[in-house]
Amino acid sequence: MSGTSTPNATNSKGGDKVSPLKIVILGVGNLLLSDEGVGVHVANELVKLELPPGVTVVEGGTDGFRLINVITEADRLIVVDAVKGSGAPGSIYRFDINEVQNCPSGFKTSVHQIGILEVINLSGLIGKTPQTTVIGIEPESLEMGMELSPEVKAKIPRIIELIWDELKSSA
Amino acid sequence: MAKKITIHPVTRIEGHLTIEVEVDNGKVVDAWSSGTMARGFEAMLTGKDPRDAPYVTSRFCGVCYSVHQLASARALDAAFGAKVPWGGNLIRNLVMGAEYIYDHVLHFYQLSALDYIDIMAVAEYKGKDKDLLAVKDKIVNLVKEKDTYPLTPRYKPDDFSVKDPDIVTSAVSHYIKALKMHAKARNMGAIWGGRTPHYQNIVVGGVTSYPDINQWARFRTMLDEQKKFVEEVYIPDVLAFGTGPLWPLATMGVGGGHYNYLSYGDFPKDPAWKDTVFPAGTIVGLNPANIKVEPVNTEKITESVKYAWYKENKPVHPYDGEQVFNLDKKEAYTFVKAPRYDGKPMEVGPLARMLVAKNPTLIDLVKKGAKPGAVARHASRAIETKLMVDACYNWLDQLLAEMTKPGFKIHDTEHWNPPESGMGAGFHEAPRGALGHWIKIKNKKIANYQAVVPSTWNASPRCEKGVRGQYEESLIGAPVPDPENPNNVVRIIRSFDPCLACAIHIIDPKTNEIRKFLIE
Repeated sequence: MSGTSTPNATNSKGGDKVSPLKIVILGVGNLLLSDEGVGVHVANELVKLELPPGVTVVEGGTDGFRLINVITEADRLIVVDAVKGSGAPGSIYRFDINEVQNCPSGFKTSVHQIGILEVINLSGLIGKTPQTTVIGIEPESLEMGMELSPEVKAKIPRIIELIWDELKSSA
Repeated sequence: MAKKITIHPVTRIEGHLTIEVEVDNGKVVDAWSSGTMARGFEAMLTGKDPRDAPYVTSRFCGVCYSVHQLASARALDAAFGAKVPWGGNLIRNLVMGAEYIYDHVLHFYQLSALDYIDIMAVAEYKGKDKDLLAVKDKIVNLVKEKDTYPLTPRYKPDDFSVKDPDIVTSAVSHYIKALKMHAKARNMGAIWGGRTPHYQNIVVGGVTSYPDINQWARFRTMLDEQKKFVEEVYIPDVLAFGTGPLWPLATMGVGGGHYNYLSYGDFPKDPAWKDTVFPAGTIVGLNPANIKVEPVNTEKITESVKYAWYKENKPVHPYDGEQVFNLDKKEAYTFVKAPRYDGKPMEVGPLARMLVAKNPTLIDLVKKGAKPGAVARHASRAIETKLMVDACYNWLDQLLAEMTKPGFKIHDTEHWNPPESGMGAGFHEAPRGALGHWIKIKNKKIANYQAVVPSTWNASPRCEKGVRGQYEESLIGAPVPDPENPNNVVRIIRSFDPCLACAIHIIDPKTNEIRKFLIE
């Protein structure tokens, strides 16, 4: 199974003789707030591609707590999201979740008081915590609108390349 | 001298909310509820194909997307003149049944329970239960690593907090179990919705894909497991806490408010909608000894913007509502409008539904002395979760019967194309309460769109007459003996299950540390 946006309803990985690592690429953000939705745009591009076995793409919208089913089913998780890191719009960041977990005030997603990174943290309480990498993109605009800004849109092919690199190094 | 306390932001909720209270002599004497994030997504819909609305509106909220999808599809059903076949309604019901289960369980354990227990009492657990000892180890380790978010930060436990190590440790073990059940329940909606989050199957006229027997059986097996948890863990926990350590809070009626309630009614049990799981009705000025329920007339709904950051307007019906911001308004303090029913502020949600239904379990608790307020809200949520679980079995039976009938239908395909012009309203009882969507169509495109969401009712500011919203009123009189630790304020607010997410998700670190991860 590959390249599907359906994490669970129809996507069964049972029966594989050599069960590969379950890799989930999770694109998150709000599609209605321009660059805030960059992760969703990336996920929607990825599902069009032929991906290696064991790789699932999930478009997570703005869910936090409620993505715990997706998170706990993954061995390796790649989160694509808008990140405010005070770089120039379109800047790309890459970090593993354990590199930031202990930063002084912790990570707080701005609205869901319990956000995606906290939920990944919590997933350890009920099972394994997947090895998680965040690929973040600095937004230009958070205005209402369903289109990305030109600066961020231009980076999509590069973000997809970077995700491929992650997949290669995970294989 | 009154002292002002501001809680900003209120944590463990879905969204951005600030609560300001004035405390005098250890009690709240005034309160202001402020939604600090602009929402006005409706404006984006103008000019779009009406059939896009269920998809776009499902992105209004990052948390309860399917509720908007359903309310929107129902508004379109009305505007298009579509008649949803019974098979389509059964599947819509089942999607929402799963939603109720995971939403309510999550709210009790993950979002609320920590208001009532002193989680650090786990360290004092001296019992021999292996599972509970494992829980103790986990929590103690997290504390050691200073990695306890979102279990912390918290206020200092007060007189009402449960501190008995056995009870607390057992509650924390259920917290963990509930998280597991939540992860499983999430997959139930996806069986019909095609994916999760943001289901794809609810559209004007019904649903998009025929169920097969494997999906049916899978849903039923998962439902069995959830039923067991709801009946054997969730309901006993709520009862044990509500009638045990929290009974004083329950009998004090902390968090009561205006005692006005509204339920649109929802979830048909039969094709003619003669009977629904939740009846429709309004109650004004509740008298628990003699509950008077009046029918709902949605023409009586208006929204006041006097204290909200929108262009001044007299109170108008949602069909005529608009979203023009005015951030310079002196008296304004929130982005939330003030919906009123017949001019009155109403509470919506589980307590409203169970009172309108005169639910015997809740009425029994009320007769024993529980006053409608924060604790009764938790009880109502548990009671109605069980009602939805039972209803799901009934819907599954009916769906199986429908599936075997020749000409089984799930969609009114005759009414797929938008009308030249029209209008329609869609109502739904979302887990958090009464949700309404209103659409006007001109030249086959959306001319105006408005949503009045449950938290708008509950978190509303004062109206043009200066009458407080339900959160605000429910805080009046709440005991706050220690202004540094206003436990009762957050207990009351979280008992409503606030959802003001509507919806943004950016990762916004508070330090500049992230710069070192810049790769290009």
